Amino acid sequence: MILITGPAVPERRFFPRLFLQQVLRVVGRVLAALSLIAAITFVLHRLLHVNATTTGLCYLVAILIIATSGGLIESTVASLVAMLCLNYFFLPPIGTLTIADPQNWVALFAFLVTSLTASQLSARAKRRTKEAIDRQYEIERLYSLSRGLLLTDATKPMPQQVIQQIAQAFPFRAVTLYDRHREEIHRGGEDDTPELEGKLREVALRSTVFLDSPSGLTITPVRLGGRPIGSLAIRGSSLSDAALQSLLNLVAIGLERALSQEAVNLAEVSRQSEELKSTLLDAIAHEFKTPLTSIKAVTTDLLSDPSYELPEHQRELITIAVEGTDRLSRLVTDAIQLSRIEGGKFTLHREIQFPSSLVSAALRQMKSLMDGREITVSARDDLPAVWVDAGLIQMVITHLLDNALKYSPSGSPISISARTSDGRVMICVIDQGPGIAEDEQSRIFDRFYRGKGEQNLKGTGMGLAIAREIMDAHGEQIWVVSKPGEGSEFCFSLPTARQGGNE
Amino acid sequence: MSTARILVIDDDPQIRRAMRASLTAHDYQVTDARTGEEGLEKLRSAGFDLVLLDMNMPGMGGIETCRLIRSSSEVAIIMLTVSNSEKDKVGALDAGADDYVTKPFSMPELLARIRATLRRLPQPPDPTDLRQLASQGVEIDLSSRQITVRGRTSHLTAKEFDLLSYLLARPNKTITHRELLQAVWGPDYGDELEYLRVFVNRLRKKIEPDPSKPQFLVTEAWAGYRFQLPKQSPLQGVSEP
Repeated sequence: MILITGPAVPERRFFPRLFLQQVLRVVGRVLAALSLIAAITFVLHRLLHVNATTTGLCYLVAILIIATSGGLIESTVASLVAMLCLNYFFLPPIGTLTIADPQNWVALFAFLVTSLTASQLSARAKRRTKEAIDRQYEIERLYSLSRGLLLTDATKPMPQQVIQQIAQAFPFRAVTLYDRHREEIHRGGEDDTPELEGKLREVALRSTVFLDSPSGLTITPVRLGGRPIGSLAIRGSSLSDAALQSLLNLVAIGLERALSQEAVNLAEVSRQSEELKSTLLDAIAHEFKTPLTSIKAVTTDLLSDPSYELPEHQRELITIAVEGTDRLSRLVTDAIQLSRIEGGKFTLHREIQFPSSLVSAALRQMKSLMDGREITVSARDDLPAVWVDAGLIQMVITHLLDNALKYSPSGSPISISARTSDGRVMICVIDQGPGIAEDEQSRIFDRFYRGKGEQNLKGTGMGLAIAREIMDAHGEQIWVVSKPGEGSEFCFSLPTARQGGNE
Repeated sequence: MSTARILVIDDDPQIRRAMRASLTAHDYQVTDARTGEEGLEKLRSAGFDLVLLDMNMPGMGGIETCRLIRSSSEVAIIMLTVSNSEKDKVGALDAGADDYVTKPFSMPELLARIRATLRRLPQPPDPTDLRQLASQGVEIDLSSRQITVRGRTSHLTAKEFDLLSYLLARPNKTITHRELLQAVWGPDYGDELEYLRVFVNRLRKKIEPDPSKPQFLVTEAWAGYRFQLPKQSPLQGVSEP
């Protein structure tokens, strides 16, 4: 529920020009009322010669007519004048303002009270009617505004549309909206608004109402859940408090809706660009791998079939071509993997996974490259499930395995261990290779870094960088423990499904 | 076996040339097609034993082509994929492929896959077991590779049929993943659990009355699969009309 509160705003203000007009109008109506009383007095006194009772009733009728068609001022003045006329022209002694018979005092007083009360009642009824009509107009306008805000065009900036809708729905002379989130000011209405930027900002910041009666300017904060999100300046407003509050509520909801819509659009744009990047990379992979496929198929076919009986040096040359193809293919695969995930701008598809199945899936993938090397896996049965992107974590394991296979002597054992540590699952790939010097350890995760020594040329320099990008995206660590001559241990941590906030 | 007819569908002319040259040298009859549409057209006219289908092709892609071939034919299909990702592999198998090879592949590997895919089981299931199945509303026709479950007839692909036959020949006994893979696909296989997952699901859709609650093809978690043959009891011996 959205609750917006604000201090009361004075209901109505009179501007000099408007005030003079109103005074003139009242004076005119008073004169008209007096003319009516004068006419009745003339007709009854000079032409018909009726008695005082009839006259009093006629006056009352006239006053009721004045009260219903005019206002309280006219009918009160008419009541007093009629009372004086009744006394002067009709109650004996006629022609004076004195009254002989005390009974006539009572009659005159009763007449005055009746006429004044009638004026009051009818004026009040009239005012109520006018108020009701005003409220109805306000409600109609608020309704048309809320309808307009619901039907806004998503392609145009929302605050500008809000202000246009307000200017359309309400007869304000000028209306200005300050949107605090975007730091923008939008104007609408027929009159030009003087520079209000400072005041609008101040009102939004301090969340107080600003009033400038002479120019008929009101600036009120726009709040959502008590938090000021902007301010609205209105000139020439005759809105009731309640209507102004409803208007502010609608503006607040409109602005908030625009914000959430923007967030959705932004997410959509980033999803589309990710999709585009992915499609592009798939196309590149396909373009590179297609010629590699025919080279590899042809060269391996030449090598495989003993019936071709190749001379030794030709066999060697073709073997070099096959190895070059494999290397290029690996480079393409790694480069595409790296650009797919680099900068962390990709979506993780996390799911609940068991560490042991991640390891065995990676081993299956690597089977053809293992060359009969012995790989032992030690994982406790009671390891908790982890909350990870399975495909990417398998990729990390295969890169670490690939590393271990390349940089340790063939025939030396490789082991994979999975255990818990500090509430996380830790997976390590351990080889018995030459180890990594301390000054190199911090650089091996850098892109295109390859260790010194000829055998390190086998790698692409991207595998560990890919592994680190993937671990960064998971918000987890990857590190190496190694000493020259004692082998290396590459480890990374994984969040358990419980930590991931899932079940 | 080496007179099998192979249709190569790939948009790349070099790959088609290499495949044609290599496969012909290995005594296969090779026809090729540049697009999925052309491939479907050629499949209609002549009896092929196997299709080598590129996954990434312009126009109708490989997956869609595979689905269309499968909708009307039980020919063996090997997909050639670029990506090594699990998603693409399962996507290829789900579309009805029997196997896949990741580009770039070596020719010996492709030839091994072709042999494995064309390889047929030597041992058909016991006819008495089949009669027992028929009493449960499941009728299997070995010669036409057709299966009828409660009046609904489905054709099985060669590999689906081999997998089912192998399980049927050993009813009520759990067969390990490795044994199934090596028996049905060949000795080079054993760790490709995703093959079994996809193929068993495909089979369940064809033979189980309710594929989500399998009563014949039962999964033994972490171990393998079992064909549960209903016991012949007087009460269950009567099939539905």
